[in-house]
Amino acid sequence: MARIALTLGPVFFHWPADRLANFYRRIADEAAIDRVHIGEVVCGKRMPFSDPVWPEIIERLERGGKEVVLSTLAAPATVRERKAVEELCSDGRLVEINDITALPTRFGQPFVAGPFVNVYNEASAQFLIRRGARTICPPVELSLAVTGTMARACPEVEFELFAFGRLPLALSGRCYHARLHGLHKDSCQFTCEENPDGLSVDTLDGQEFLAVNGVQTLSHQVQAFCPESADLLACGVTRLRLSPQTVDMVIVAQTYRALLDGAETPTGARFILSCLDLPGALAVGFPHGRPGCHVPDTI
Amino acid sequence: MTVGQMELVCPAGAPATLRAAITARADAVYCGFQGETNARNFPGLNFSPAELADGVRFARDHGKKVLVAINTFAPAGRVDQWRKAADEAAACGADAIIAADLAVLDHVANNHKGLRLHLSVQAAAATPEAIGFYAEAFGVRRVVLPRVLSIQEIATLNRSINVETEAFVFGELCVMIEGRCFLSSYAAEKSPNLNGVCSPPEAVSYDQEAGSTAARLSGFTIDRYAPDQPTGYPTLCKGRFSAGGTTSYPVSLNAGGLIAGLKAAGVTALKIEGRQRGKGYVTEGVRTFRKAVDAIEAGGDAPEIDRILARMSEGGRRTTGAYKKTWR
Amino acid sequence: MVERTKAGELPAFIRVLFPTVAALPFGLLLTRSVRVLAARQPRLFERLAEHRSACFFVDPTDLAFAFTVVPDGERSLVRIVGKAETSTASVVIRGPLLMLLGLLDGTLDGDALFFHRVISVSGRTEAVVALRNAIEDAELRPADLLGLHGAVARFADAGILGGLSAARRLAASSDGDQAARMQ
Repeated sequence: MARIALTLGPVFFHWPADRLANFYRRIADEAAIDRVHIGEVVCGKRMPFSDPVWPEIIERLERGGKEVVLSTLAAPATVRERKAVEELCSDGRLVEINDITALPTRFGQPFVAGPFVNVYNEASAQFLIRRGARTICPPVELSLAVTGTMARACPEVEFELFAFGRLPLALSGRCYHARLHGLHKDSCQFTCEENPDGLSVDTLDGQEFLAVNGVQTLSHQVQAFCPESADLLACGVTRLRLSPQTVDMVIVAQTYRALLDGAETPTGARFILSCLDLPGALAVGFPHGRPGCHVPDTI
Repeated sequence: MTVGQMELVCPAGAPATLRAAITARADAVYCGFQGETNARNFPGLNFSPAELADGVRFARDHGKKVLVAINTFAPAGRVDQWRKAADEAAACGADAIIAADLAVLDHVANNHKGLRLHLSVQAAAATPEAIGFYAEAFGVRRVVLPRVLSIQEIATLNRSINVETEAFVFGELCVMIEGRCFLSSYAAEKSPNLNGVCSPPEAVSYDQEAGSTAARLSGFTIDRYAPDQPTGYPTLCKGRFSAGGTTSYPVSLNAGGLIAGLKAAGVTALKIEGRQRGKGYVTEGVRTFRKAVDAIEAGGDAPEIDRILARMSEGGRRTTGAYKKTWR
Repeated sequence: MVERTKAGELPAFIRVLFPTVAALPFGLLLTRSVRVLAARQPRLFERLAEHRSACFFVDPTDLAFAFTVVPDGERSLVRIVGKAETSTASVVIRGPLLMLLGLLDGTLDGDALFFHRVISVSGRTEAVVALRNAIEDAELRPADLLGLHGAVARFADAGILGGLSAARRLAASSDGDQAARMQ
């Protein structure tokens, strides 16, 4: 039976440079991860902080046998952000595009179509494959069943499913962290750094609901989709994406590896994950075609 | 930069609204088919192919245009339904198709070469590179601009692209980048991208509780109102939540006073949001904006339309949205 | 603001209707009217799709009674009920009669009325949305729903629509708003 690979998605949050360096050092040395995405995806203003540490991180990850993918901004706007996207797209490594802005530069070279690019069907997938897409991670709201329909029609590329982490639900032109602190986006003082898993947003009745991360809105809950390898392979899905949170991602990766290798049951894997220090309760809706916040009885 | 008259593009949720908008002197109306192929898939709304054909005839008789929105994303296995909708729009004589899905754009570009393609706001194309890509790959002639750009950014953008731009001037304001938002499907399963519905009405409840009304979506409290306080539809991104004690309020986009700025920024067409709104809203909105656009085109100032339109606005509040940068 | 209008307009309106209403119990009269409407304008009911079987509880807050309406085309049913009999309703709509009637022909914007709390809605929101959208497109006159014809119909329309304009002018002036200028 083919092996399901594990991908570590890009860090969505504004982690300081030393936190990023320490995080990826452990990933490089200890995590059962095949492919690692690095780079800033959410906010171009954060790039000057992390840019200096990426070369060393890339080198360390590649030395640790990981395939490194350079992720690009999901909503580039300024001249500087557009230029950053263009530069990354000129790299010889695999690049993840998260906005069509990246496509003209990357045209014809291999790329990953990330979950911020709207690939919902086989025709749009084929369109991107003809232009260089090698891995497609569809938008998080797409179910495993529909992803499977697309994947079976495009056997020449890999399909990846967002399995673990707070769900990236929305991007805005306004920065919620800046607004919360009474600041303007243009002089935000990077208050998003205070919430390395995002800032919880509750309803007026105190229900846990969302989390904000600068211009991004995520789910409060942590998705933990724990399928068996056979179910994924039957749908043509060959990769699972784990999205970094402050929780020990080495243990998360280890748990998923054990699950996919058949050494752990889905119930067992979910139990292990639920015992970790997660920022929210576990949920699994989207992969089953349910609301993303859905909590199955089995957790 | 445009040199011609700015075009006023108005919503039509149903045939009667189409007639109302044209009668109120819209230059073009946009509408969609019943079902999931368009982004305003609300119960009781939208057109059958026969109704669209009638609508196109009505518009043509008045020298106006009909733009058909097929601007959701087809889920795998059902792309043919979206292609068929595009074929039907073409057969009805639509003046343009508004689309966002690469599959739909590709289909129209390859099979209806004479038909204008407009890039939907759902495609969230905000950079010269992205817009250039859609223009080159599909021959897109006009881009509906994401509602996150300021007037200055629109002006800069227009100097570096070769396609027309269309900007929203009135109606409900999405605070998230459209086409990139899964808040609705997270809470209530249905999504703008896949189902053409945000915060679906079947998941909405207004619960009368002690001293207040709670507006809920799938059980999540989106807002709470004192008796007599203006309410809003519980659209997720417009609710009031608690995060460090801050709140946000429902607002309507009303850039009426900014029409002159948008013209100077090189915008070709002004768009009024609200295919889910009634004839009263459409008629008043179109008439008022018609007056303003005519005044601008005649070299005068826009009348004080913001004040006139105040009663039409959701929650009684308006904003100039991202067009003025302080909103961020 | 609405109070003044109610006091001024309603009695005249009811006098117009009274001769017709007297011939049949009001619920039966309205049921017949809606079925006649269904025969004349089937598209209105087609737009309702699955919500044809929903039970709409309509409570004109300035009348002593309420209605339930099941708008199932030519099998439609309208009943006069007490103001508390909402247990079988899928939807409860409450508001001053003139405002409810103003929704029918699109002279008043349902969303605007709702957002300003003039009309309140609870229950299955999707059914309300479907009903509102279907009615919007049907371009009804008040007389259509009352099953009136000929001179009486014109009289009723003029009375109700005139009352609506007056209501709106009053509302506009009391708000210090300029909406009345838009007429």
